[in-house]
Amino acid sequence: MQSNAAFEYDYSIAKLFTYTTILFGILGMIIGTLIAAQLAFPELNYMFGEYGTFSRLRPVHTTVVIFGFTLSGVFATFYYVAQRVLKVSMAESNLLMTVGKIHFWLYFVGALLATVSLVLGFSQGKEYAQYEWPIDIVIVIVWLLWGVSIFGLIGIRREKSLYISLWYYIACFIGIAMLYLFNNMAVPTALVSGYGNIMHSVSMYSGTNDALVQWWWGHNAVAFVFTVPIIAIIYYFLPKESGQAIYSYKLSLLSFWGLMFVYLWAGSHHLLYSPVPDWMQTMGSIFSIVLILPSWGSAINMLLTMKGEWNQLTDNPLIKFMVLASTFYMLSTLEGPIQAIKSVNAIAHFTDWIPGHVHDGTLGWVAFTIMAGIFHMTPRMFKREIYSKSLMETQFWLQTLAVVLYFTSMWIAGITQGMMWRAVDEYGNLMYSFIDTVTVLHPYYAIRALSGVLYLSGFLIFAYNIYKTITSSKRLTEEPQFKTPMA
Amino acid sequence: MFHWLEKNPFFFSVGVFIVIAFAGIIEILPNFAEASRPVKGLKPYTVLQLAGKEVYKKDNCLSCHSQMIRPFKSETDRYGQYSLSGEYAYDRPFLWGSKRTGPDLHRVGNYRTTDWHENHMWDPKSVVPDSIMPAYKHHFTNIADIETAYAEAVTVKTVFNTPYDVEGGTKLGTWEEAQKMALEEAKLVTADMKNKDVKDAVESGNIPEIVALIAYLNRLK
Amino acid sequence: MNGLMIKALAFAAVLIIATLAVVNSMNIDLSDSINMITMIGAIAIAVLTAGVSVKYINQMKTDTASGELAEENWDGIGEYKNELPSGWAFSFLGTMIWGLWYWFIGYPLNAFSQIGQYNEEVLEYNAKFDSVYKNADEATLQAMGESLFLVKCAPCHGETGDGLSGKAHDFTTRMSKDQVLYVIANGSDQLGYPMGAMPAGMASGDDAEAIATFIAGGMKGEAPVAFAACTSCHGEDGKGMGGMAPNIAEYDDLIISKILEHGKKGKLGSMPAFKTMLTPVQIKSLSAYIKTLK
Ligand code: HEC
Ligand code: HEC
Ligand code: HEC
Ligand code: HEM
Ligand code: HEM
Ligand SMILES: [Ca+2]
Ligand SMILES: [Ca+2]
Ligand SMILES: [Cu+2]
Repeated sequence: MQSNAAFEYDYSIAKLFTYTTILFGILGMIIGTLIAAQLAFPELNYMFGEYGTFSRLRPVHTTVVIFGFTLSGVFATFYYVAQRVLKVSMAESNLLMTVGKIHFWLYFVGALLATVSLVLGFSQGKEYAQYEWPIDIVIVIVWLLWGVSIFGLIGIRREKSLYISLWYYIACFIGIAMLYLFNNMAVPTALVSGYGNIMHSVSMYSGTNDALVQWWWGHNAVAFVFTVPIIAIIYYFLPKESGQAIYSYKLSLLSFWGLMFVYLWAGSHHLLYSPVPDWMQTMGSIFSIVLILPSWGSAINMLLTMKGEWNQLTDNPLIKFMVLASTFYMLSTLEGPIQAIKSVNAIAHFTDWIPGHVHDGTLGWVAFTIMAGIFHMTPRMFKREIYSKSLMETQFWLQTLAVVLYFTSMWIAGITQGMMWRAVDEYGNLMYSFIDTVTVLHPYYAIRALSGVLYLSGFLIFAYNIYKTITSSKRLTEEPQFKTPMA
Repeated sequence: MFHWLEKNPFFFSVGVFIVIAFAGIIEILPNFAEASRPVKGLKPYTVLQLAGKEVYKKDNCLSCHSQMIRPFKSETDRYGQYSLSGEYAYDRPFLWGSKRTGPDLHRVGNYRTTDWHENHMWDPKSVVPDSIMPAYKHHFTNIADIETAYAEAVTVKTVFNTPYDVEGGTKLGTWEEAQKMALEEAKLVTADMKNKDVKDAVESGNIPEIVALIAYLNRLK
Repeated sequence: MNGLMIKALAFAAVLIIATLAVVNSMNIDLSDSINMITMIGAIAIAVLTAGVSVKYINQMKTDTASGELAEENWDGIGEYKNELPSGWAFSFLGTMIWGLWYWFIGYPLNAFSQIGQYNEEVLEYNAKFDSVYKNADEATLQAMGESLFLVKCAPCHGETGDGLSGKAHDFTTRMSKDQVLYVIANGSDQLGYPMGAMPAGMASGDDAEAIATFIAGGMKGEAPVAFAACTSCHGEDGKGMGGMAPNIAEYDDLIISKILEHGKKGKLGSMPAFKTMLTPVQIKSLSAYIKTLK
């Protein structure tokens, strides 16, 4: 085995993306907390005129947390992990350094443009793909640049075979490239007609077809942004931080190819009981159930990797973050398939149980994993130990409590709401007016807003801890092989 | 074989691509020909309605409202006939939504009226005291973008053969004609409205967003 | 069972019990099959996730990592050549077999139709509530009407039927003076009475004022002289001559069903037609309820 010290990896791009992860994380979670509060206290809609209503801000929240926070985290870890598992330095290729820099800056500009355009009201209307066509073009270029980085680094690698994390980064790249292109196909109206706003476009697909393409994308945006690259991250940082070998190569392999094969079929579980053909809905339900196992495979592989290492779980908050993340991953990948059963979806669809499910995944799994990755990378990129372990502990418990409050409140709210919509009185008439089903949710919306405040506070503590680590923590003379040093 | 793939990134990537693309083809393609057929009697949106749909998208009403009634007794009792694929043939994009913080709106034109919408969009609490829906007062002052709506209609007519200007259908005409028709349609809406500023604006040839939005909501049936 | 497992399952149980308690407090019928399957699903999520993840986390306490290491090593990360955990492997195989069975044998391609399921649901519903409708006495109709009113009409007429300060018709009186004046001035032709249209301008000025005050006051006491203009259609008593024209003295079943069928545009605004959205029994019950509002 070659020692790591033989290499000076170049972390400049990884550092830039780390900053934006934190920046967009704070912004996205502030907005998340605000919109959560708006549902409990509607007066909060009027703080910024027409730009501050729940409906304008909701897509801004999803954009900033998905394309800002999560993707930054994915890119940051990629530029860190890929060099190390391929044993090449970015600095070895001027071309790759340049591409990396353009990738970052164009990404940053694109993400800001996307956010601002939504605040201003430019929207294609399709969830997670709202940005109008000029911004889509920027996004596509950013994506291609990332592809150049991935395959460029692989091209000059010293390590012959690809580590598991890279399988997942590659899959993320290919999956999103394919799906994003298809779903965003649109015709700019000003170019065709010569009239009207240049930003405006109209979807290539209509009605039910558009719905199918949208949820083929929407579901797989979940797969290829919230699942696949996050697995890439945990597959590197958990064994690396703990010094444990991956429990089973076979399990990694089957989970990977199983996930790749099964995921795409499940998209129609977003369209159950809609006018799309019955057989397609049935297919979505079946594949969702099958999907439990390849999903749990990765989580179990992580938990088994920590077998016998109880002491690490209790001593090292970083390990705690990742073990809990795996558990929340298991929760959301069992909850999702069960919500995909037609009879359950009859209740769950359209209710708050779905945002509940979403945030089990995003807060418990995605954000925890990304934060753990940054905790591991920062001391190595900046050659300083982590500023404070006790702040990490505080953050961990605050955020864990927040996720539990989020999902219990939305779980109860959603099931109650779904059942109230269906309820009939003794005469066979609807028992509840719509507004009745809204007013009962008030306490749960308030709890969810509180959970947002807690999670956001945890994230601010995280940001502070990282800031102090970078600027004023104790310097390290040598890179630690496994466990991250912390004060 | 897998070890081999892991050493050959190119074939590995091709493998991943095939495995994931495959499902898409089966899931998406078969439905394309069929699902885009309109139900009988369905007319394309008028320019004013399209402008209203743009307001609906801009202010992202779909973050709280669905437009898709599922075939359950409880939903057909609350909202009316379950939704059919052919009803959405001219919806680009589809606006089914995925969350019902507020009620479904696919047939709201059947059981709500212009004057009610006027009260409700100005201040939802004035009609539904416990409502958590935001008030959209800015729709009463912002002017709707009729030109872009016209551009959209022209585009779908040229590119997708949406049947404008056919016997008994929706007339589109030239930009000048379209403007005139939109204004006339707007006047029909404001006839049932009370807000003085909105009525004055339409009299002077400008169509506030609320008028276009209500035209769109009334069409949802 | 160790402490961690007990805590995890206790948490799952608390969550389920809390859900059940809340749902119960809303009078939800859990024997409804959809509701029941959902609750079972929720229990499965809570218990399986808590149970299985804690099972593996417990192994961190007890087991030790072992196995044969693969030759490869990335940045210090090794890999064991361990076999698949058998529970996982069998479950995966199981779901795949189940999926194939479902797809080819259980519900092959077109064996299920959601519209068919809907039709069955409606039949079942009708069978269940037929008897309630058949034997509905006045009290039942009123109660039924009230609940319908709250769902369908309250968004415009208010929960108490007071019309939300003039935004829609106020049921606590038959008609307001303004509304009557509006009809006198504009006539009316939208309700489909045998008498057809009511012409505009049947009275004006002080006469109209007097008539409107009289009608809005509930037609009590002496009728003003001018009211004679109305009696040829609405009758001396204002009750509409046995259904030839609307009853303007008080609500009757006819006026309410006409309005629900045709909708009504008037002084206050427009009322949508509910013709396909209500059954005859529902209309009767709404009328029974509205009559109690005065
Ligand atoms: C924060 C969530 C939210 C947003 C955003 C929102 N609504 Fe609503 N909407 C509601 C709720 C809750 C109700 C039910 C209570 C009520 O009638 O006010 C409702 C009711 C309605 C209704 C009445 C439907 C019925 O059947 O009673 C209409 C029409 C409507 N909204 C239109 C809109 C439009 C148009 C927009 C966007 C410009 C919008 N809403 C944005 C939450 C929202
Ligand atoms: C030629 C017959 C005729 C005469 C005379 C007549 N009405 Fe009517 N009236 C009708 C008919 C028919 C309707 C129902 C109209 C419709 O279908 O919209 C009606 C409707 C009304 C309504 C609306 C009822 C509701 O609940 O919406 C009022 C109020 C009314 N009349 C008052 C009067 C008054 C006051 C006068 C005398 C000044 C008068 N009518 C004279 C035939 C008449
Ligand atoms: C979209 C709003 C809206 C809804 C929903 C609505 N109404 Fe109305 N309704 C009105 C308005 C506005 C008027 C007053 C019309 C006028 O006279 O100006 C009215 C008038 C009426 C009248 C007429 C009173 C009269 O004699 O003229 C009756 C009866 C009535 N509504 C019953 C109902 C019932 C029953 C329901 C529910 C099934 C219902 N309405 C739902 C808006 C509504
Ligand atoms: C086995 C894996 C999973 C399955 C089968 C699954 C299934 C589902 C289902 C059935 C819905 C609800 C659709 C509806 O009725 O509206 C849903 C929504 C969603 N899920 Fe999952 N889920 C899985 C894992 C995840 C994970 C790990 C995440 C990570 C965050 C996630 C994020 C989401 C999101 C964001 C939505 C909301 C989509 C929308 O906007 O409507 N899911 N999922
Ligand atoms: C402080 C933490 C957060 C809070 C309080 C919060 C709150 C919210 C709220 C209130 C909604 C709207 C739900 C609705 O319409 O009913 C939402 C939607 C969403 N959030 Fe968050 N959020 C937070 C963090 C995050 C993070 C970190 C992510 C992703 C990494 C995320 C991803 C999403 C997604 C994908 C949706 C759309 C779900 C759907 O359409 O079903 N959120 N969030
Ligand atoms: Ca787009
Ligand atoms: Ca959604
Ligand atoms: Cu999905």
